[in-house]
Amino acid sequence: MAETKWGMVVDLDKCTGCQSCVVACQSENNIPINTEDIFNQRRAIEWIRIERYWEGEFPNVKARYVPVLCQHCDEAPCEPVCPVLATYHNDQGLNVQVYNRCIGTRFCANNCPYTVRFFNFWEPEWPDSLKNQLNPDVTVRSRGIMEKCTFCIQRIRRVSKNSKSGEKTNERDLNPACTNACATDALVFGNLNDPESKVSKARSKGEKRSYKMLEELGTEPNVIYLKKVEKGNKQENHVH
Amino acid sequence: MIPGDFQLPKRNKKNLIYLVILSIVGLIGATVAITLLSFVLSAWFGLPLDVFGLNEGPDQPIKFPHKTHVEELGLDCTFCHRTVTSEASASVPSVTLCMTCHKSVGDDLEEIEKLRSIYASKGTIDWIRVHRVPDHAHFIHEAHVKHFSEKNNVEPAQTCSICHGNVAEMEKVRQARELKMGDCVDCHKKNDGPTDCTTCHY
Ligand code: HEC
Ligand code: HEC
Ligand code: HEC
Ligand code: HEC
Ligand code: HEC
Repeated sequence: MAETKWGMVVDLDKCTGCQSCVVACQSENNIPINTEDIFNQRRAIEWIRIERYWEGEFPNVKARYVPVLCQHCDEAPCEPVCPVLATYHNDQGLNVQVYNRCIGTRFCANNCPYTVRFFNFWEPEWPDSLKNQLNPDVTVRSRGIMEKCTFCIQRIRRVSKNSKSGEKTNERDLNPACTNACATDALVFGNLNDPESKVSKARSKGEKRSYKMLEELGTEPNVIYLKKVEKGNKQENHVH
Repeated sequence: MIPGDFQLPKRNKKNLIYLVILSIVGLIGATVAITLLSFVLSAWFGLPLDVFGLNEGPDQPIKFPHKTHVEELGLDCTFCHRTVTSEASASVPSVTLCMTCHKSVGDDLEEIEKLRSIYASKGTIDWIRVHRVPDHAHFIHEAHVKHFSEKNNVEPAQTCSICHGNVAEMEKVRQARELKMGDCVDCHKKNDGPTDCTTCHY
């Protein structure tokens, strides 16, 4: 078994749909501003998005929020279709995208059942006031390139660097931007192969509520969702 | 006259003009070809050829001599490039650091006066970068300096020459090693370094 396998637990019971993960991701990863115009063209880039669903009739409506990001599937449908091997699985269980290798066929996005891969239809642009806040650890993707959630690989790299020099940023304290920003700890990130990591604990604690998105497709996602706790939900037996 | 006998063609003014034009075109063609060839060869070797001063480093806004500071004063590389043992980038010292000495050292020298006027106006020096890997590749000094200083059991400052050549001897810093992807990955293979694409590309 590989030493490291990054994964995430998303507890839908805790998600309030506040969008702070979306904003955090956007600024951490140098994602250009999505304008209304771009949204209407369905060309917005959002490595993580909150899907909102309404259930029931007013006044008995329930809002449901589901954060969706790259599932870093073990059997990722995007990988075998890349003609230049620009996307592949690395030794830490990440589905990675090598931007400079990418030639922009968009086959991968077409094959992704979660629609979490995004194509740069334009050269990215920022207003002048934001130019100095670009993250120097993240490549700015140019036009014609595919991009997607990386689980903030730049932060993963930084931790592996520091832990070598004895400074010991603990791997277990590592968080991607979205997880850091989450006010309710609905997102938990970590090494799924480390039984002591936050993510493994959250996963075993929520075992009864857990499911994976579009599991039946056999993509073997590494993002695990925990169902909302509700009255009448018999499976649930511990209190939050 | 015997038919078929060899005869010099009559000199024709028109032919002469053609000849001159042809040789000028030929000369220009050859120059262009040689220039192009030198570009191709430079790209092939990954570094500018060591001819016509092509291999010289860029002119810096202040002629900072590494030779004086390192060789003669014996300053350690890490004294100025402070973050090289702890961060990804090596960093270039601030004007304040220079002024700890140059407030009193080097009166009346032209370059030092430039330095002092920049300091007085609270400006910064726009050094021209010599080494630059493209945006899509990430280089981390800390890992390399640590690895090689431990492996060879030397001070961190003794590892710089592996990639930067002997900077202490240079009047103007220039790039001494290719540092293209092939170069990086070759060394990684030799030293059991990581070769996964996302080590460097993310
Ligand atoms: C007194 C401070 C000082 C010391 C000591 C010093 N440097 Fe520098 N170094 C500078 C400054 C200032 C620059 C930027 C100007 C330039 O490029 O010439 C620089 C530039 C460089 C560059 C080029 C950076 C680029 O733009 O790519 C390299 C490489 C370098 N130094 C290596 C070394 C090494 C190796 C040593 C030790 C042998 C060393 N330096 C010692 C101040 C110093
Ligand atoms: C440890 C003290 C010290 C520090 C720090 C230092 N220098 Fe110097 N520098 C000297 C000395 C000593 C000389 C030799 C002066 C002389 O020849 O009279 C010198 C010479 C120079 C010269 C050559 C002047 C000439 O025309 O010969 C330049 C340029 C220079 N320094 C720039 C800098 C810059 C830029 C920095 C900051 C990156 C810096 N120095 C940091 C001590 C220092
Ligand atoms: C394994 C090769 C390697 C070693 C060893 C190395 N460097 Fe570098 N250095 C590089 C590369 C590659 C760059 C370009 C980095 C970039 O563009 O991000 C660079 C850039 C620099 C720069 C330019 C500023 C910056 O931070 O990018 C300085 C200054 C520098 N090195 C100093 C040093 C010093 C001092 C040492 C020794 C303590 C050292 N280097 C050891 C490869 C190396
Ligand atoms: C002289 C040999 C050498 C050269 C040249 C070299 N590397 Fe390395 N590099 C190493 C070694 C050895 C390691 C492993 C260090 C360790 O694991 O402690 C390493 C590790 C790394 C790492 C991982 C650091 C970490 O946090 O674990 C990165 C990134 C890297 N190199 C990038 C580059 C890039 C980019 C270049 C070319 C510009 C380059 N290297 C050139 C020897 C080299
Ligand atoms: C040790 C670090 C390192 C590793 C590992 C590495 N690369 Fe690179 N790569 C670089 C550097 C540095 C450059 C920039 C070279 C230059 O200056 O042109 C580069 C350039 C490239 C380019 C050229 C981009 C262009 O615009 O010219 C491609 C494509 C590329 N890499 C793909 C890959 C792929 C695919 C892998 C994995 C199989 C990989 N690289 C692994 C360091 C690395």
